This record gives sequence, structure tokens and C-alpha cells, in this order.
Amino acid sequence: MNLSGWDLEKLRLRLRCRVGHALGFACPDIEDVVQETVRRFLELRRDDRLATAEAGGAFLQGICRNVIFEYRRRIFRDAPMPEGAPEPPSRTLPEADLFELREAIEEGMRQLSPRDRQVLHLFYLQEEPVERILESMSLTEANFRVVLCRAKERFRQIYQRSCNKSKAAAIG
Amino acid sequence: MGTPYHEDPIRREELIARYLLRKLDSEAADAFEAHYLACSDCFEEIRATELLICGLGGSVRQDRQNEGIRILRFARTSQLTGTSPELSVLDRIVRTPGDTRVLIDLSGVSRIDSAGLGMLMRCYTHAVQNAGVLKLLNPSSQVKRVLSMTHIDSVVPTFEDEGAALQSFQTLAPRTEAEN
Repeated sequence: MNLSGWDLEKLRLRLRCRVGHALGFACPDIEDVVQETVRRFLELRRDDRLATAEAGGAFLQGICRNVIFEYRRRIFRDAPMPEGAPEPPSRTLPEADLFELREAIEEGMRQLSPRDRQVLHLFYLQEEPVERILESMSLTEANFRVVLCRAKERFRQIYQRSCNKSKAAAIG
Repeated sequence: MGTPYHEDPIRREELIARYLLRKLDSEAADAFEAHYLACSDCFEEIRATELLICGLGGSVRQDRQNEGIRILRFARTSQLTGTSPELSVLDRIVRTPGDTRVLIDLSGVSRIDSAGLGMLMRCYTHAVQNAGVLKLLNPSSQVKRVLSMTHIDSVVPTFEDEGAALQSFQTLAPRTEAEN
């Protein structure tokens, strides 16, 4: 079965996230690593080396990990030894990616009540255990689920809108 | 065997948050990556959470001027009180090593309490200890009154005009080794 242009683009989006997470979103070679992973994946797929469709994720993960290891080995072989500890990879999306989404993100944040924002802040940024958040904010688990789902739904829509733009571009 | 990632949305969110903050151990991260590379649903959740975390962390915006002055602004009307999320974001940003010329725009701050004042003073101390300087810009009347009552405005330079505030950074004489 051939992959459509949009299937390939979806694959690239996931790999970009995976590679960015490993190398940092500021790494200038993310696209090269993604492209090499896709190339190897398609080659092995063409040769029927993928046993089952369910194993696709693990298979892709294995290829991606190898490409990242090779990239790191090459970088450390070619580059002089760093004087200090290397910078940890950036944790967030790069500014360029965020630029277009900035307005949408702020609109999403404006729609959250201060209390919801505080709950989400405790959960995502302070990494408080759910039990402690429920206790400190006097919430039931059902309330907490509502806060979480409501916020996630808004941001899922923002992501889907940005995805539709990519899809339109991929289909051309 | 069913996938554990779809059983409980809260547990999945915890996992995603830990993954994005790089707090998952390598084995768990590896398994989750193998899963989301093939699962549209989980990948979509990751991206939505990523945007949400950016939004939450983005309550304080950072602009950088040519002279290495970092200006912090609040993206929306905020309170600098003990329970407000902005407090920890501000703390994290100001304590970034190397950033010691900082201007905090307080125009978006509607209320400040002892925790907020304590945070401002910690930021100020951090800057001074690192041979830097911290200044405040455009506090609202309520915040200005609190700064005045606590005499913080006599310690931390406070400005009404951004141009004047930036200018004041430029007129600072560079510190010598002896002064440090």
C-alpha cells in the first residue's frame, strides 16, 4: 500500500516531534534526521520488512533512534570537545513555530478562567500530584477532569486548525 | 493486550506532561514514543498539551533589547500574589543565569501582595548579586502605593516611561572588577 502525500506529512510531523524532543527544537538538523528516518522506513517497507501493521510505531521508533544515534556520533566525532557542559535541548516549541500560533494560544488562554488556569498550572508546570491539587483547590476528581478536558479541547482545536493548513499545503 | 495509554485521560496527561518536560525515564519514554508514532490520537494530545503548556508558561513575555536588557511583560492582566502562577514563571525567568539587566513592566499587574513583593526583592537581589540591575516600569496606582508604603520604590528604581527606563540602563557605568 502506498502512502499518500498527506500520510507522509503526518509521519513527518510525528517524527519532527520525536526528533525535536531528542535533539532539542533548536537543532538545525531536525529536518535531515527526519528525512533520513522516512527514507529508511519507506525502503524497509518496500522490501516488506515490516511484519505487522501494528508494529509500525515500534519499527519507526527503532529506525528513528538509530538515525539519532548516528547523528550524535557524527556530531561528536566532527566537533571539537565542548569547553563546558553542552546546552540542554530546548524544552518548548521554537519561536518560529509559535509565532503563527501565538494569537490562537493567547485566545485559548483568555477563555480559561483564572481558577482553571491555576489548576492547569499546578498540574502541568508545578507537576503537583492530582490528589494534592484536588485537596488544595477543593475540587472533586470529576471537576478536575472537566477542567482538563475543556482546556485540552480548546488547544486540540488550535492544533487541528494549524494541521489543516499543513494538510492543504501538502495536498497542494 | 490493550494499550495502557488510552485507559485513563488523566494518567495519559500526566505521562504526556512528564514526557514533554523530559522527566520520564528512558524506558517509559521509548515505549511512549513507539506508541505515538503510530497513534494519531495520542500525537494530537501531545501537540495540544504542548500548546497548552506554552500558553501557561507564556503569561510572562520576554523581549530583548539591543543592549542585552531583558524586558518582562505580562501578557494579560495579572496579580502577583501568593497563589498566582505568574509568580513562579517570573522567578524562573529572572533567575536565568546571565540575565542581569532586567526591566519588569508592571502595567499589567493589578494587585500585589507580600509574596509578590518578596519575589520582586528576590529578583532584585539576584540581579545585584550578579553585578546586574533590576528596574520596574509603569506600576498601576494600587501597585505603586504598595511599593511606596514598603519603601521598595526607594531601593528598586521605578519608571513611568519605557524610553527613560531603557536610557537609564545605558547611562550605567560598567562595573569594574574591584566594585564587584
